[in-house]
Amino acid sequence: MPEKNDIAVEVKGLSKNYGDVRALKSIDLQIGAGEYFVLLGPSGGGKTTLLRLIGGFIRPTAGEIFLHSAEVSHLPPNGRPTSMVFQSFALFPHMNVQTNVGYGLRLRNMPKVEIRERVDAMLEMVGLTGYGERMPHELSGGQQQRVQLARSLVLEVKILLLDEPLAALDAKLRKEMCIELKRIQEKVGITFIHVTHNQEEAMTVADDLAIISGGKLLERGKARDLYENPIHRFTAEFIGENNVFDGHVTAVDGEGHVMVDLGYTNLTVHGRDQMPGVGDKVSISVRSELVQLVDGNAMAAQGQEILSGTHRETVYLGLTTSELVRLPNGQELLVRQLSDGSGGNGIKVDEAVQISWRTVDGRLHVS
Amino acid sequence: MQDDYSSLWGYRLKWLYTLLVVFTLMAPVFYVMYISFNENGFGARDYVFTLDWYVVIFSDLLLLESFLNTLVLATITVVVVVPMGLVAAKHYKITRYPLAVVSLMLSPLFVPADILGSALLVFFKNLNKTFTLLGESFSVNWFDNWFDLGYFSAIVGLIIYTLPYVFVVILITMARYKDQQTEAARSCGATAWQAFWHVEFPQIRAGIFSACSFTIILTFNEYTRTSLLKGGYDTFTSVLVSQMLNEGMSEQSYAMSAMVSYIAIAIIGSIILLTLVRSERLEQVARAKADPMGAT
Repeated sequence: MPEKNDIAVEVKGLSKNYGDVRALKSIDLQIGAGEYFVLLGPSGGGKTTLLRLIGGFIRPTAGEIFLHSAEVSHLPPNGRPTSMVFQSFALFPHMNVQTNVGYGLRLRNMPKVEIRERVDAMLEMVGLTGYGERMPHELSGGQQQRVQLARSLVLEVKILLLDEPLAALDAKLRKEMCIELKRIQEKVGITFIHVTHNQEEAMTVADDLAIISGGKLLERGKARDLYENPIHRFTAEFIGENNVFDGHVTAVDGEGHVMVDLGYTNLTVHGRDQMPGVGDKVSISVRSELVQLVDGNAMAAQGQEILSGTHRETVYLGLTTSELVRLPNGQELLVRQLSDGSGGNGIKVDEAVQISWRTVDGRLHVS
Repeated sequence: MQDDYSSLWGYRLKWLYTLLVVFTLMAPVFYVMYISFNENGFGARDYVFTLDWYVVIFSDLLLLESFLNTLVLATITVVVVVPMGLVAAKHYKITRYPLAVVSLMLSPLFVPADILGSALLVFFKNLNKTFTLLGESFSVNWFDNWFDLGYFSAIVGLIIYTLPYVFVVILITMARYKDQQTEAARSCGATAWQAFWHVEFPQIRAGIFSACSFTIILTFNEYTRTSLLKGGYDTFTSVLVSQMLNEGMSEQSYAMSAMVSYIAIAIIGSIILLTLVRSERLEQVARAKADPMGAT
């Protein structure tokens, strides 16, 4: 079991170019041993490239990779203390489950009896006892992914890399597997690095997560921090359901409040240790569940922000209901509320409405 | 593709047409087989069934030797060309310029056999001359006759001839293979060779064996390049052709030709059969994936 204070992965100035395309731009990152770490970001953002660099499947253009303090940039995948779980299952189709899971142990010339025992134990851990004789094509997607997980875990490597491991599964199975992955990681205690573009999946499993986009590591932190207090505009747009307003700073007061002109109205937001200058372009984000529809004639109270718009649509989603409101500049804003079972709020399309949120719920983004 | 509204008779006619074409193309081969069982040989009025000509083959030393020579050429060509084709196919899958690789690999197909053969003949003769002159400049004869016509030059010609076919056959099989399986094997601790041998090879084995068989058949079929580059009349096709031109074909030549045809048909038939069995198995896999047993 690794010490919690150990650094499992450290990358310094890591870059990867494909011809003129810069897939990864000088990334610095440390991942603690025993952590469930998630690389989250949009497709093509560079997160899989980073994972593959850590795994040794591609060579970095520049930078260094340390795994448990050892520099490994020059080593191939089989020379690193890692194993990878792939999105497309990647089971060996000509081997049964038992042989698939025991493949790495056979390469280590382990006695057959010991391989059998360890494979059986691992199949039990992933809930596939009795499936050893089946061929990969006789398994469902979820079962195939469990076999892949067992094949990697049985090697007792220090770091497990998971490349979009749940992307090929349906929504229900994905949720179940998320919880299962987290349970297994806590049981084995090794470092998991999980790549996904699905924020719900990321937030379910992650101890810590990093947002990667455009080849850059934008932001990292706990799931709650990134959800509630994103620093970057991109993070606010990517995580959760946020309404984002762009404008420029008109004033900054001594208490850290920043006044922003949106062009059709002014908003106030707390600077959160960011002190932009007057005239700077900034953004304000506010989560859709913190925005409320209010009386059309309501006046902004102290500590409240208020905007006028026209009601466009009500979308019933079961647990929640979303209201779509168009602002004077044409931007559409989302208000999400728990469905109350009353059958709707009776607001008609194109009816004038007002929306409001507490000033403290707004987040300022200078980048 | 047959749809519900197309005519059954149209479908049958297409099959009939295909069989007719195949039969027409194969008719001369069947005729050779027919003659090989006639005790009175080609052109005789009476047909008396016999297996004697097949027995006589083994006493015709010239024919036997030529068969063995061609077998040696085929074996060496297989040993060299199949790994070359495999490496080229693997390179094709990772290159950023696949069109360039395909064009280069297939380019020998576009050069007529007699042109390629005579070009290589001139090339080897010039090479021989150059090396001899090189030796003379050092007053030694070590470099003489390195590139005389023989097995080496014939094999070079056969490699150039068969490589495009081998490349295509292997490439078709490799198209189904997912490279992530190699990465998965590497991730389990396998070296590049172990990943190939344990994971990739079992899945492309059919293509490799097909390429081997195809190379042997092509070598036995080849006349122009081999006769130009080997020199002498001691390969299977060159002996048959020379016999036919000088004395007319002997009865055992028909038997030998028929035997080679049986082998070729058996090899190609097996490949087709294996391919059909394999594709049926893949369909079963697809069906099983769509409806897995005890899936959760």
